[in-house]
Amino acid sequence: MRISWPHMGSLEFVLGSVFEELGLDYLLPPPNSQRTLELGTRYGPEFACFPLKTTLGNFIEALEAGADTLIMVSGRGPCRFGFYAETQRRILEDAGYDFRMVMLEFEPGRIPATIRKLGELKQGRPWRSVVRAIKFALSKAYLIDRLEQQALHQRCLDRERGATTKALERCYRMVWEADSYAALRRVEEEAFELLRSVPGEERETVKIGIVGEFYLVLEPFFNLGVEEQLGNLGAFVERSVYLTDWLRPSGNNPVAGHHDREVEEAARPYLTHFVGGEGLRSVGATALYHRLGFDGVVHVMPFTCMPETIAKSILPRVSRDLGIPVLFLVIDEMTGKAGVATRLEAFVDLARFRRRSREAGLDYSLQPAF
Amino acid sequence: MRVGIPGGLLYYRYGKLWTSFLEALGAEVVESGETTRSILNSGVSKAENESCLPVKVFYGHVLALREKVDAIFVPRLVSVKKGTHTCPKMLGLPDLARAAVEDKVPVIAPTINFQEGMWANYRAVYSLGRLFTRNPFRILRAGLDAWREHRLYLERLTLGLDHRSALKGEAEGLLCEGRELRIGVIGHHYNVYDTFTTMSLLDRLGSMGVDVVTADMVPEELKERELKRLPKEIYWSYEREVAGAILACSRYRLVDGIIFMISFPCGPDSIIRVLCEQENRRLGGVPMLSLVIDEHTGEGGFLTRIEAFVDMLRRRKNPVALRKEAVAV
Repeated sequence: MRISWPHMGSLEFVLGSVFEELGLDYLLPPPNSQRTLELGTRYGPEFACFPLKTTLGNFIEALEAGADTLIMVSGRGPCRFGFYAETQRRILEDAGYDFRMVMLEFEPGRIPATIRKLGELKQGRPWRSVVRAIKFALSKAYLIDRLEQQALHQRCLDRERGATTKALERCYRMVWEADSYAALRRVEEEAFELLRSVPGEERETVKIGIVGEFYLVLEPFFNLGVEEQLGNLGAFVERSVYLTDWLRPSGNNPVAGHHDREVEEAARPYLTHFVGGEGLRSVGATALYHRLGFDGVVHVMPFTCMPETIAKSILPRVSRDLGIPVLFLVIDEMTGKAGVATRLEAFVDLARFRRRSREAGLDYSLQPAF
Repeated sequence: MRVGIPGGLLYYRYGKLWTSFLEALGAEVVESGETTRSILNSGVSKAENESCLPVKVFYGHVLALREKVDAIFVPRLVSVKKGTHTCPKMLGLPDLARAAVEDKVPVIAPTINFQEGMWANYRAVYSLGRLFTRNPFRILRAGLDAWREHRLYLERLTLGLDHRSALKGEAEGLLCEGRELRIGVIGHHYNVYDTFTTMSLLDRLGSMGVDVVTADMVPEELKERELKRLPKEIYWSYEREVAGAILACSRYRLVDGIIFMISFPCGPDSIIRVLCEQENRRLGGVPMLSLVIDEHTGEGGFLTRIEAFVDMLRRRKNPVALRKEAVAV
C-alpha cells in the first residue's frame, strides 16, 4: 500500500512526517507543475473550481509514479470541497486507473467510519504511536507556519532579493529532519535565528493583507507566488489563514491571531451568515485588517468558487465603507503570471501613495472613479 | 407597506408561499414579474462577473424593484431538510441583495434552517409576521393558508403543469399529454421554468410534439431510492432532487432522453454532472444532453442542439418507420 495525497502548502511536511514516524510506505506526488494543471484540466469537469482540477492533477501524477491509495478529506459543508473526493474517484475510475480512495470525514456522525478507515491505513501500527505521530506532525506544522509568518513579515526588508525565501527553504529542511520534540525545539531556535540573520535594511514598507480561499492562499505555485511577489515589492504581508488554523477545529487561529468569533463580528455589517468555505472570513478579515491599519488587502480566489464569489460581491462595499483598497485576483488555468505581477505592482504603488499622503496629513479618501 | 418579491431563484419554487403569506398579512406585494431582456442586462452589468446566471438574473429583479417598494423580501434558506444545505449563494443571498440596493431599501430576510429544528423556523416565520401585524392568530392563519397554497402549487407541478399555469391555478398547459416521444427536462426550478433564459424551451418542445417530464413529475419515492444507492450522500437539497430525478429516469426508463439544464457556472451542478453522466452510462440508461446556458447563449445554436437531440431520439425510438420514410424520399 503506497499512500499519497495532494499538495497544499506545507501539508506535505505534516502528513509526510506522520507516515515517516510510523514507518509506512508513502509517496509524495511530484511537485506542482504546468503538467499537473494540464492533466487536471483535461480530466476535470469544465467549470468545477480550480483546486479540484489541480488536486486531480496531483492524484494522476501520484498514480503514475506508483501510488495506489489516495487520501482525501471529504465533508458535508455547503462548499464543493466536501464532494471533491467522490468526484475525483469517479473521474479517475473513468480514466482507467486502479487505486483506492480513502475519504476521511470529520463530522460528528462520521467519526467511527473515519476511525475504521484510519485503522486500515495504519497497517497494524498501535494507535498510541499513531496519535503521537499526528501530535508531533501538528507541532511541526505550527512551527512551519510561524516561520512562514516571520518570512512574510521580513521579506520586504531584504537587502538581497530572495534571501529570505532561500533561508525559509533551509528552515523547511531543518524542520523536516527533526525527529523528536527535543530536536524540534532546537530547530525552532536555529530556524528563527537563521531567518532573523538575513541581512536587511531600513526601507519604507506598506502593510498588505492576503485573504481568500485557503487552498490558493496556501499554495504558492498556483497563486503565482503572490506572497513572495508582494514581499519583493516591499510589502509587509499577513495572511488570514495558515495551515495550523485550518487543521485545528477550535477556531482560535493561533498563527493568524484572530478568533473566528472576532472575524464573524467584524463581518456582521456586511455578511451575516456563514456561506461555506472561507467566504465569511474573507469579509471579516478585510474589516479586521482595516482596524489594524493595513494599507490594502489582496483577495485571492479560484474561478467559480462559490463562497468567495459572494465575498467578492460584498467586498467592494466593505472597501468603499472603510476606505481600504482591495485587489481581486481570480485565478484559474488561464491566468498569466505577467498580468498578476503588473496588477500587484500597481496595487502596492497605490497603497504606498495612500500611506504617504496619510502620513503627510493629506486627504487620501478614495476617488469616486475608484 | 409595499413589499417586493424578486422573481428569480427560489421564487420559482416558493413564490406562491411567499405571496400568499404576505398578502394574507395585509402587505401589498409587488412582484418583479418574469425575466426580460432589460432585467437580465441590468443584472449582468451590476452583479459579480463570477456569479452564476440565475444570480445575475436575481440581481436584475432586485434592481427592477428597488424604486417601487418599501422593502424587499429575500429569505435566507440555509437548509430545507435535515442533513442537507442549499447552495452557498443562497446562504449569502440577502447580503447580496443588500449590496445590490446599497442599503437604500431595507431587505427582509428571515432565516429558515431545518438543521436547527422546527422551533427556530416557527420563530423566524412568526417574527416575520410581526412586522405586519400584532395579531398572533392572524399570523398563524396566514402561515397555514400559505402552506396549503404552496402544497397545492407543488401538487400541480407534480401533475405536469407548467410553472406559470400552476402559479395561476389554471388547468391549462399540461406538459405531458401522452405523445409519442417523452423527454426529461431536468434541472433547478429556476433553470427549467424561466422562460426567458431557457428561450421557452418547454413550449418549444411541446410544439415539436414532445412530452416533457420535469424533476417534479418524477415520483419522490423513486428519487429517494436512487439517492440511497449512491456511495456518498449528496448534501445540497435541490441538487438531490435533480440527481435523483436523472438517476430515476435513467434506471426506470421513464423518458426517452434527458436534457440536463445547467447554468454557467453553477457550482453544485458541475459536480453532479460528473456523477449523473457516469451513473447513467453504467446503468446503460437513456441519451443525455447537458445544456449549459449563460447570458451569451445564442438562440440559434441552442435550438439546433435541441432539434438535433429530438431527431436523434425519434430515430432511436422508431428505426423501421424512419427507414421507410427514407426510402420514400
